[in-house]
Amino acid sequence: MASIARCLRAARPSGLAALVKQPVPRLCSARTFSVSASNAIRKYTKEHEWIDLAADLKTGVVGISEYAAKALGDVVFVELPEEGKSVKAGDAIGAVESVKSAADINAPISCKITAVNTLLEEKPGTINQVPEDDSHGGGWIAKVQVEEQGVKDLEKLMDAEAYEEFTAAEGEH
Amino acid sequence: MATRRPRPSRAGISCAAKLLIRSSHGQHHHSLFTTRPRVSTHGLLHPSHRRPFTTNLSKPIQIYRSPSTDPYLNLSIEHHLLQHTPPSSIILFLYTNRPSVVIGRNQNPWVEVNLSRLRQKPLPLTTPHHHPSSAPSPNEQQPTSLVRRRSGGGTVFHDTGNINWTVIVPPPIFTRTLHAEMITRSLIRLGIPTARVNERHDIVITPSSDQKDYKVSGSAYKLTRTRSLHHGTCLLSSPNLGQISGLLRSPAEAFIKARGVESVRSPIRNVGIDTERFIQGVVEEFKSMYPTDDDEEIVVVDEEIARQEGSIVKGMAELMSPDWIYGQTPQFTFSTHPTEDDPRPRPPLPEGIPREFSAHFTIRHGEIQTFSITGLRYTDDIDAASQDLALSQALVGQRIHHITDWRETLQSASSTPITDAQAVGGWLNTMFGLS
Repeated sequence: MASIARCLRAARPSGLAALVKQPVPRLCSARTFSVSASNAIRKYTKEHEWIDLAADLKTGVVGISEYAAKALGDVVFVELPEEGKSVKAGDAIGAVESVKSAADINAPISCKITAVNTLLEEKPGTINQVPEDDSHGGGWIAKVQVEEQGVKDLEKLMDAEAYEEFTAAEGEH
Repeated sequence: MATRRPRPSRAGISCAAKLLIRSSHGQHHHSLFTTRPRVSTHGLLHPSHRRPFTTNLSKPIQIYRSPSTDPYLNLSIEHHLLQHTPPSSIILFLYTNRPSVVIGRNQNPWVEVNLSRLRQKPLPLTTPHHHPSSAPSPNEQQPTSLVRRRSGGGTVFHDTGNINWTVIVPPPIFTRTLHAEMITRSLIRLGIPTARVNERHDIVITPSSDQKDYKVSGSAYKLTRTRSLHHGTCLLSSPNLGQISGLLRSPAEAFIKARGVESVRSPIRNVGIDTERFIQGVVEEFKSMYPTDDDEEIVVVDEEIARQEGSIVKGMAELMSPDWIYGQTPQFTFSTHPTEDDPRPRPPLPEGIPREFSAHFTIRHGEIQTFSITGLRYTDDIDAASQDLALSQALVGQRIHHITDWRETLQSASSTPITDAQAVGGWLNTMFGLS
């Protein structure tokens, strides 16, 4: 999902952000959040996936962010992940097609795919309507099982507030 | 148009360089990519921005050209470049294919393509603009190739009168129009002043004779976590324009409801530019967007070496396998009669097929999930309904692309000889391009 969220405007390589004349008011603060075992945790990747990790840190739900869904345009097909497959953080697990673009969906953390949202095969537009809904009828992509490495990977991701700042800063470029 | 300068990478040793180092053993001609002397670019390119810190080994800008017209090889070289070039590099790749129909990642070949026509009727090749070192094409009499590419979008036709251009960039640079506009600027400079990018990201031209838009170039994209690929066609001088519409019209389309992506038809036209001139123009435009200090950088892919490179071999095997071409088709339903999900009126079935006959089946990943056939007549006509049911059940689980003759398939799935096997099986063969 890395590129698609940026496709509606002329963006610069992030490495050049420092050269931008106008001030960038907020910076990405990816590490201000610590994992709490008491509540379900939602985190986001820079590539615009989200993961909800259950309080027991064993199971989660994965999807793509509202910000990305908007930038994608009309989703016409979702290539769902393969059930039972174990993947590492960043691995491509599926893809969404919109406006002639096949965009990879990547695993936010190391995990094993336990279920996929078959509703999206029938109604791919659900991704545009409720991309961050992890309930029945929502636009979530896959349910996953998580082990130690996956929980560790979570530390590199952003919480909702940091992600909002990240996308706002991206949008200004 | 703004020039977006990539950040030059010192760390990224180019894919070409790596392969050169790995496979050359000091022999230049054994490397996958060989640097082409300035034949086609001489006098056209002005290295206006010199960056003294860029070394030969860390090339942030790379330009390749394939001498092969094998669509499976060319798309696999392209995929290799997508996966193996340094994340910060910017790549231009140019190639032409022998006559091929190329469907999008999530399309249905039985809906998009007249497979019988594709298989039966070889199309003439234009004179390919081969690199002098390449051998003459051995594929003169081959039927048109069917290819499922890895990018999204709709079905396009390629032949050697069409050129394919690919630009691979880091995600932050990517927009859907950036490189379509690069091609448009090239076309304008080459004397096609009406060239423009339309709302579908196609490039159209508007001849003064009829003031109508004609598509000359279509776009598709593949976006990974670290790289963004935009590729497109450009019809230069195809001799087959008259054939394309018929080739891309399937007799089964009226009977199939498919998930996934349907193509949008557009009137097409050649721009009438010579391949070499087009390449020069695009390279020049690409270089003005991404200036380098290297004016000897059109690298011609060595076909022999490319065919031995592990990831290209793997990519080709996948692209050529029926499980990819057909098996990757999103779920679809074939119904001889209108259904609740697909109420379109159907064309009449041909004579010889019994009036009571109906068939309805669902295919997922190439595999028959449900099959319901009724109204067949059997030589032993005691209980036709239960024969229909047994036949239907026997077909569930079969792979549609493994069926080579429906007459045999129907007959061998039935314990009783079918009176209508020839007529019904023959018609299904026509529908699925097997006749």
